[in-house]
Amino acid sequence: MAVTTEVSEKLSSLPEAAAVTLRMRAEHYFDVIRALLDVFSIKKSLDAIYVTSTIPSASIINALEVLEIRLDHIWFVDCISQIMMSPGHKHEHAVYVESPTMLENLMLKVEYLIRKTKDRKNLVILDSINSLAIHNNTKILSEFLHILVNNLRAKEAYTIIFSMEQYESEDIRNMLNLVSDETLQVEAEG
Amino acid sequence: MAPREREETEERERCITGIDGLDNILNGGIPRGNTVLITGSIGTGKTSLCLEFLVHGAIVGENSLYVSVTESYEKLLSNIIPYDFFDRKLIKDGRLVFIDLPVVYEKLGLEKLEFEFEEVNILVGAIGNIVDELNIKRLVIDSITSVCYRLKTQENIRDFILKLGSMLSSRGCTTLLVSEISPTEERYSEYGVEEAIADGVIVTGNLERRGDLLRTLQAVKMRGTMHSRAKYVLDLTTVGVLLVPLLKGGSIATAGG
Repeated sequence: MAVTTEVSEKLSSLPEAAAVTLRMRAEHYFDVIRALLDVFSIKKSLDAIYVTSTIPSASIINALEVLEIRLDHIWFVDCISQIMMSPGHKHEHAVYVESPTMLENLMLKVEYLIRKTKDRKNLVILDSINSLAIHNNTKILSEFLHILVNNLRAKEAYTIIFSMEQYESEDIRNMLNLVSDETLQVEAEG
Repeated sequence: MAPREREETEERERCITGIDGLDNILNGGIPRGNTVLITGSIGTGKTSLCLEFLVHGAIVGENSLYVSVTESYEKLLSNIIPYDFFDRKLIKDGRLVFIDLPVVYEKLGLEKLEFEFEEVNILVGAIGNIVDELNIKRLVIDSITSVCYRLKTQENIRDFILKLGSMLSSRGCTTLLVSEISPTEERYSEYGVEEAIADGVIVTGNLERRGDLLRTLQAVKMRGTMHSRAKYVLDLTTVGVLLVPLLKGGSIATAGG
């Protein structure tokens, strides 16, 4: 719970439409998700667009159900289910990108969901830069981040980029420094 | 007059397509009255792009006409993307009109498989009459390739597109001509004439990158405006055609378009 409070408080102190890197360890993953989707986005009345290239949206949705987090204002861009050839049923709050290498299509789906949720401002979560880096080279990934973050800034959306500490390379750190307004280190206090 | 002022006064009126990405690429929209070739291989989004152009026109009060050459408009409508902004009332109110060209051929008695100079004039005249009668400001002919198939010679094709373009431009009607090419085609049209005469050429295509197939769009020519000539990736969605710049960081091999 300490991580959830810490993350939501830190985010609340940031200016609107900020681009933030959240550096975390794997054990804090679900606490961070709760902080973003159950506290921060509700407090700010945001529609959350959760881009997942790490685990299928179905798994995250299951976890959210366990955590009793409502999906009404949460949407998914799922870049991993199709490449895994998982036959699972398509969720009405998820749109699918064929592969995490189709970075343009990822941007297009985010744009689509922003338009579909035009009544409220958006929080866009990129989960994670490390899994995208498995499928894409640094050059194209930097270009993608640069365009995506600037587009989202222009649309007054918050951008949150997950980076898993143990998988962070020098290249990834440089890339994130270039596009982020702030890097928040997630660590449990006490 | 200062150069800047002259520039502003000389700016041509735009036909705002309503497709945000395309209007940005074209620096505000298609110069009104231009005839633009929308060219690409199958499944690249030409028809969807054109239909959206017409629907947005109808919504803002510009009467819009879709001339279908190969398939009946009823079949077309049944396969149309269920746009969030599309309202069948636009058709009922006569703002959005669909016509099957074979029906027009029949009414005009143009039953020959090959059109000569005289038939070209009759056809252009008939389209002009429809445009006048319905006060059409946006027109799509899908596809011009199928019309040109009957014209046979390059002279007839050139004559037809020149006459059509000039007739429509004089009426302030902005026109999209759909051109079908094969994926391996090195030129922008089947007959090699259409792109030279049209005021603009927008190419849609498929681009293969490391096994992924992306739909692309590129404005290669547009008279009367500065415009981007970069390649964009497009998506056909219920909120309309969306576009983002093609990322250039990876290795790229083209496959058609």
